Amino acid sequence: MMAERLKKNRTRLIVLGILAVLFVSASQGMSTEDWVITVMRGLAVGAITFLVAAGFSLILGLMDVLNLAHGEMFMLGAYIGWTVYVRPDTFVDALTPLLLLAAGLMLMPVLGVWLGQRPLPGKVNQIWPWLGLAAALALLIYALRQWPLAMWNPGVFAESPATFSLAMSQGTMQLPAAAVATGLSPWLLLMLLGLGSTLLAAALVGMRLRGQTAVSAPYLSKSPLILAGGLALAGVFIFALNDGLTAWLYRLNHTALFALAIVVATAVGGLLGGLIESTLIRPLYKRPIYQIMLTLGISFITIELVRAIWGRPEFTMPKPEMFAGTGAGCGREVVSIVERLANQCATIFLFNGRIRTYNEIFIILMGLIVLVGVWLLLQRTRLGMIIRAGVQDSQMVEALGINVRRVFTLVFSLGVALAALGGVLAAPSIGLSNGMGGQFLLLALIALAIGGLTSYPGAAAGAVLVGLLQQFIIKYGQLGINLPFLAEPFKPSPPLVPASTVLFMVIILLLLPNGLFGRDE
Amino acid sequence: MTNLLEVQNIHTFIGQFHILEGVSVDVLQGSITVLLGRNGAGKTTTLKSVMGLTPPSQGQILFAGEPLQGRRSYDIAAMGIGFVPEHRAIFRDLSVAENLKIAERCKGDLARKEEFIFGLFPDLKRLIKLPGTKLSGGQQQMLAIARALVPDNKLLLIDEPSEGLAPVLIEQMITAIQQLAANTTVLLVEQNFVVASKLAERYVIIEEGRSVKKGLMAELVNDQETIHRYLGAA
Amino acid sequence: MQSTIPPTETGREALRLFKENRGPLAMLLALILFPFFVALLDGQGPTAVLNNEIGNARFLQGLLIEIFILAIYALSYDLILGITGLLSFGHAMFFAVGAYLTGIAFKSFGWGVGPTLAAVIVAGIVQALLFGLVLPRVKGITFALVTLGFASVFEIIVKSNEMVAYTGADVGLQGVVVPAAWLNTSNERFRLYLIVLFFTFFVYLVYRRFVDSPTGRVCIATRENEGRAQMLGYNTFYFKLTALILSSITAAMAGFFHTVHQPIVSPAVAGLGWTVAALLMILMGGIGTLSGALVGAAIFRLLQFYLERWFGGNATFLIGLVYVLLVMFVPYGVVGTWQARRLDIQRGRERLLRLLHLRP
Repeated sequence: MMAERLKKNRTRLIVLGILAVLFVSASQGMSTEDWVITVMRGLAVGAITFLVAAGFSLILGLMDVLNLAHGEMFMLGAYIGWTVYVRPDTFVDALTPLLLLAAGLMLMPVLGVWLGQRPLPGKVNQIWPWLGLAAALALLIYALRQWPLAMWNPGVFAESPATFSLAMSQGTMQLPAAAVATGLSPWLLLMLLGLGSTLLAAALVGMRLRGQTAVSAPYLSKSPLILAGGLALAGVFIFALNDGLTAWLYRLNHTALFALAIVVATAVGGLLGGLIESTLIRPLYKRPIYQIMLTLGISFITIELVRAIWGRPEFTMPKPEMFAGTGAGCGREVVSIVERLANQCATIFLFNGRIRTYNEIFIILMGLIVLVGVWLLLQRTRLGMIIRAGVQDSQMVEALGINVRRVFTLVFSLGVALAALGGVLAAPSIGLSNGMGGQFLLLALIALAIGGLTSYPGAAAGAVLVGLLQQFIIKYGQLGINLPFLAEPFKPSPPLVPASTVLFMVIILLLLPNGLFGRDE
Repeated sequence: MTNLLEVQNIHTFIGQFHILEGVSVDVLQGSITVLLGRNGAGKTTTLKSVMGLTPPSQGQILFAGEPLQGRRSYDIAAMGIGFVPEHRAIFRDLSVAENLKIAERCKGDLARKEEFIFGLFPDLKRLIKLPGTKLSGGQQQMLAIARALVPDNKLLLIDEPSEGLAPVLIEQMITAIQQLAANTTVLLVEQNFVVASKLAERYVIIEEGRSVKKGLMAELVNDQETIHRYLGAA
Repeated sequence: MQSTIPPTETGREALRLFKENRGPLAMLLALILFPFFVALLDGQGPTAVLNNEIGNARFLQGLLIEIFILAIYALSYDLILGITGLLSFGHAMFFAVGAYLTGIAFKSFGWGVGPTLAAVIVAGIVQALLFGLVLPRVKGITFALVTLGFASVFEIIVKSNEMVAYTGADVGLQGVVVPAAWLNTSNERFRLYLIVLFFTFFVYLVYRRFVDSPTGRVCIATRENEGRAQMLGYNTFYFKLTALILSSITAAMAGFFHTVHQPIVSPAVAGLGWTVAALLMILMGGIGTLSGALVGAAIFRLLQFYLERWFGGNATFLIGLVYVLLVMFVPYGVVGTWQARRLDIQRGRERLLRLLHLRP
């Protein structure tokens, strides 16, 4: 039995062995502190990659959707997090329309039942959703254009996101003047927004009802109604208390604000994921290859929207205070790690290696928390059980009486939320740019290929391996490798960094076509 | 006696292929009915059409008097239809216990039915912690049937229960199905004529996507001509 | 008057071929006449085309040449993805090898057109064999990732500073001079237009023929169900390899014409984006239909060109929006959806005829 298992996994064991040898020998060419720094950085890159890869792999495994917009959802998480963190006033201003929109969409199931019971004559049934959609969009755009929204302006340097980031990190941030509504009274605009959102939801429901001949046992549950009402009410309250809320957020300390940014970015990611799945991806399960085109289209649109709103240039996001201390109690003389952490130092020393608390400690910690959390979700809950079963055969799960479509929406939403979380976590460390999504999606793809495309432990292992490899190559690019028969140390040039991870993937896939942890099909 | 399930002249397409071109099946409440026919005649597709997995484009299916068209699979299952697919499609990544638990439609279904299920398949109790991959073919088949017994189903659709099983296991399977049929109606697909004749009371023969003959199993057993014509030398 | 040509075997065969390809032939004729038509509309007179005069006719010829090159490239991708069912993310490499090799051969080695063409074809075969090496090992999305790996390595080599003398690294290969005056795109635009047009037509006919041939049939069977094709006794590996080689040579030829027409090779043609472009073209046109690749290439280039001209910076946003809308409302690509609808229309007509008792 044991021997058989050994034989079955021979290639896998040999590959793991070679990796271990490589890892050990990589430590030989550099000092201990360099090694510690490189390993920690590798793990941090691995943690971010994992957050992108985990969601991607869940979506691929359960729904067979290659979500090429996943990287852009990661990027969007970063930009939304930045907004909440650096410009809470904009966030508060934008929150009311967003809540109203969400409230409208929450009404969709209720409207579905209501409209389903009132079938219109054939032609009207075909046409009204389009008219409704056009009217709703016109109404929303009209109201949003006049909505009082305090904004930065990427076109003017003094008002660009980069300037605000700088001001915040230097502590010279001033509360910008509150925006005022132009034209109509804001309360009227509020009503128009509510009306537009409801109309939009009705039109979307109407489109879905068009194709259906029979509506199955309609029953009305109260929870969406209550939820929608709550969201709308929250929107109105926030609008009424706008100025007070903004002032309060500005006075909040940066660590709490950052926590809020994380929560908001993740939540927006989750909502967006659910919306994309239920409106755009759902009709495409029958023609898989076209999902690629759709997700590519979404990714183009997202990048362009981000460019239009936040501008093309890269900018940074200041780190929260908890990880930014440099003054007293953080000098070389303080030895104890615990003490440095208590002093909120930006760096600590581990075996003399300078480790940044945010970039290398906090990110890894968050990665670990998510790793364990999602694992518990998959192994210990009924939802996790359904997901694991659905990865193998979603039709059979449905034939057991489980509404798999709802699980699809949930998982898509979870996957995008994880990517958005990765984005907002990565932003203070690597900054914000239009290309960050594509970059990390590629890394995540490589990590998944190495670990096994739909294997959860594989996603984690692959991400860590890719992160480590990348950081070691970068480090050796600075140090140079002393190779035998070469007089000069060999220095891998910058283009070799992506090449090395890609080559590594090709080698692993040729040895183990299903990756390190993938199951043989 | 009433019909629990009435399949009325259904047509089903898979992609561009017209698989069912008029299948009618009546399943009497409390009976075991078997679908017979050659490979590729459309027996499995008939079960899947009932289940809503390959929805028919024409015709009608009534379950306990209610039409099933336009309903999604999960909705159909929730009306009280259990499905045991061919090739023992259990969930390999889930343990035996989880495979049963996932089929719960209400909390506590499994606790309520445990005794009955383990009475039918004592092996499963012993294997409860094992992952699905570690089960033998016969055990997987038992698990697949047991899974359909967890919720209160009025009708079971069982696809090829004896396929690829050793003769001893086939006997066990027959006993188990006979026992569970005491309080459930069963629609069966079975290639093995001997098994079918032992289990079923009624039969429907499907030939090239059409239901061509139906009646009592007891009569079919002696009707050598029909057997030869539609089922080959059985 | 009666035709005097005796109905020989060859004659009948030619007639049959002509009848079968009436549509493409009409298209070919229309495209040959198109520049003259535009010149007439512009009031330049048809000789303007032959004299290579500056104007709309000349400009549109240039745009059409680009479309033809894209069409050849998209056709080659449709052959392996749409017909054979091989998802490759490294297809850009097939094109880029042709484009770079042509540029380097002309610029650095001073080769003539003949040897360069030969080298391009040989390189096409070699890279297809390289992809073929991994074919038996990896399937599905894993094959896509491995080919992406190959293409990325090629892209990195092309962009690396060590190769700057040959490839121009990040800036790309510039200042390529086509060594044959008769192929010069600025002086002999109409000739190049005809050459690329005829080549596109030729590739399309060859592909049509391939798909209808026994080999092509096995390729389609492999796409539908590889296991079954193998059970029928076909070694699917050789069929996939054949399709890869044919596709690779075609794509490399597209690269060759690309460099001839636009004496600049940007490293973008070696990137993943360029593979995605091929994918989008065949998805828009209709995957697995071949003619869809031609339609898709036209849509792709025209969208890009005109949206950028009209909307400038917002073009990419609109292009993304068009993709999403196309997926939603033209579900199987232009040609694919049209074919599906045509079937519906036919069915509807038959039903009507039956209702009216015009047909049994």
